[in-house]
Amino acid sequence: MKSATMNYEDRVVTAFTFASVAWALLGMTAGVYVAAELVWPTIDFGAAGLSFGRLRTLHTTLVLFGFGVSALMGTAFYTVQRTSHVRLFAPKLAWAIFWAWQVAILLGGISILAGWNAGKEYAELEWPFDIAIALAWVAFAVVFFGTIAIRRVDAIYISNWFYGALIIVVAMLHIVNSLELPATLGKSYSLFSGAQDAVVQWWYGHNAVGFLLTGGFLGMLYYFLPKQAEQPIWSYRLSIVAFWAFVYTYIWAGPHHLHYHAIPAWVQSLGMVMSLILLAPSWATMVNGIMTVSGAAQKLRTDPALKFIVLALAFYGLATFEGPMLAIRSVNVFSHFTEWTIGHVHSGALGWNALITFGTFYYLVPRLAGAPLYSVQLANRHFWLALAGVMLYVLSMWGAGISQGVLWLSLDSLGEVRFSFNDVMAAMHPYYMLRLVAGLLFLWGAVLMFWNLTQTFAKRSTVTVTVPAGATA
Amino acid sequence: MPARFSILDLGKILFSPTAVFQAVARESPPATRVFFRFALWLGLLPPLFAYVGTLKFGWRLGVEPVFLPPRSVLTICVLYYAILLFGFVSGGVVARWMASTYDASQSLGRCFALLAIVGAPLAVGSIVHLYPNAFINVLVLVPALIWSMFLLYRGLPVVLETGPNRGMLMASALIAYLLVALVSLFGITVALWGSGLGPRIGA
Repeated sequence: MKSATMNYEDRVVTAFTFASVAWALLGMTAGVYVAAELVWPTIDFGAAGLSFGRLRTLHTTLVLFGFGVSALMGTAFYTVQRTSHVRLFAPKLAWAIFWAWQVAILLGGISILAGWNAGKEYAELEWPFDIAIALAWVAFAVVFFGTIAIRRVDAIYISNWFYGALIIVVAMLHIVNSLELPATLGKSYSLFSGAQDAVVQWWYGHNAVGFLLTGGFLGMLYYFLPKQAEQPIWSYRLSIVAFWAFVYTYIWAGPHHLHYHAIPAWVQSLGMVMSLILLAPSWATMVNGIMTVSGAAQKLRTDPALKFIVLALAFYGLATFEGPMLAIRSVNVFSHFTEWTIGHVHSGALGWNALITFGTFYYLVPRLAGAPLYSVQLANRHFWLALAGVMLYVLSMWGAGISQGVLWLSLDSLGEVRFSFNDVMAAMHPYYMLRLVAGLLFLWGAVLMFWNLTQTFAKRSTVTVTVPAGATA
Repeated sequence: MPARFSILDLGKILFSPTAVFQAVARESPPATRVFFRFALWLGLLPPLFAYVGTLKFGWRLGVEPVFLPPRSVLTICVLYYAILLFGFVSGGVVARWMASTYDASQSLGRCFALLAIVGAPLAVGSIVHLYPNAFINVLVLVPALIWSMFLLYRGLPVVLETGPNRGMLMASALIAYLLVALVSLFGITVALWGSGLGPRIGA
């Protein structure tokens, strides 16, 4: 194909974007429902499919793999074409990935509600889904790296390094952690056992946080922030240094999930030290983002999307500071198993991942649709709802977690635990109520976004973006 | 209205913050005056309320009240005061450090004045510490916090004389610093607690 007539393949990006928004609504609704169950435990009505165990798993699966991964795949395809000056490699395969992924999440979600569960956190889907995910992921790698291979720009832009790391590391994590022996269609047993199983599980679990929720979304940040700010990255060199430091360090941090467990103490110490070192590349990236946006202040007046990114950076800073801190063993002894951890996860997942994605979608959809955003006012309202939701969530969980920690460590005069589990749960009631309100605020904002983006798309015109002709390797 | 910045002006600061913002921008009060005449006294309120409340009612975290020996309560409240002052001074210094990035005024006095005005609703709201029920405290302090954040976003561009957009960015950066400082405080506290330094509960 001649470069003059070559267009970017953006329809698959649009499909991933709207799929991502739909999964966000479903996943967050499931989250709000389980939050309500913690306030009123009887609203599962005795139905197994509505039980906390199944709905909570559905919540994490839909937001992580439905909302998060769909957004990452879509933006990766958008970014890699524009930074390589070439049409997507194997666009039909990209469409196959789209459908395979959506069907896998849909059927996977149903299987979780039906009680299938591999028993590994954030990897609960059973072996047939594990195989489907692995195949789709390998196809994702083929399309992405295929596009990089035929690029017509010499340098590989920093976003693509992050997306590339996401693809390679998640493939490795998923395949190793999912090594299992199928017993029936709906049940398998891990090849690992005991402490080894725990270490593999948290090597997977924490690096999913690292390479998917951090690395993947940094790929998004490094493309969409400079585009929105109409500024180059403050320090490209810093972004490269931070990338390699990040990749080398993160992979070791997993054992901090297993402090005081039956794994060797040196493994715990290694996990803790690597988690602390991780602060440096994380904050280097935050500073890079903040300095990039600080040169584009005048754009804030007209561009609601940029606000989301500014706030996302603030919460990225909080979450990546809080994480290493919670990985310190003497802090972890207090915080582990308390709601503090849940608050930390959500300051990352809502404050960083969701806000950066929302900001990106508010930028992306008008461009994909060739129409202006339906309502800037609605987007601004969404911003304040999201801010209120995530702040209230984090504060209520700090309150709950610290209360739990104090109460659990409180001993009576005989040195016995002073408060029973039931006492402590009862004390959590008001915080759970606040968290429910926080979740509803955040969900409400997401519903406004859904309406805003679909209305924008309804007024679409035909958009084809031509690959720049002059670019050659 | 002159920005005398004495603790006696607390009422004005609470009820007509906009006028105070403008006065600060006009007069640029020296940092020492803001600190010694205002912040030092404002910061005294939360630990004072907490001291009385904890002795009288005990910490109420949703189960039976947790009472601490009076000496422990005193130590905790003195540390609470120290940490509030540290937060105030470090926040002011960090704000001045950030100011050059956002083309804002680099006067430490103005940064202190801004933080003092922003902190006032929280300090006054801490009257709820008189009854240290965790949930009631959250209920009162969350709206106070929202008001404080509103004052920060509204006041920063005026006091530090920068554009509203740069002001929004700088206010967000300051909030990030304050959140990180707060969570560090939690971390340091529980780490010390874990290593045996801290109050004995229930003994």
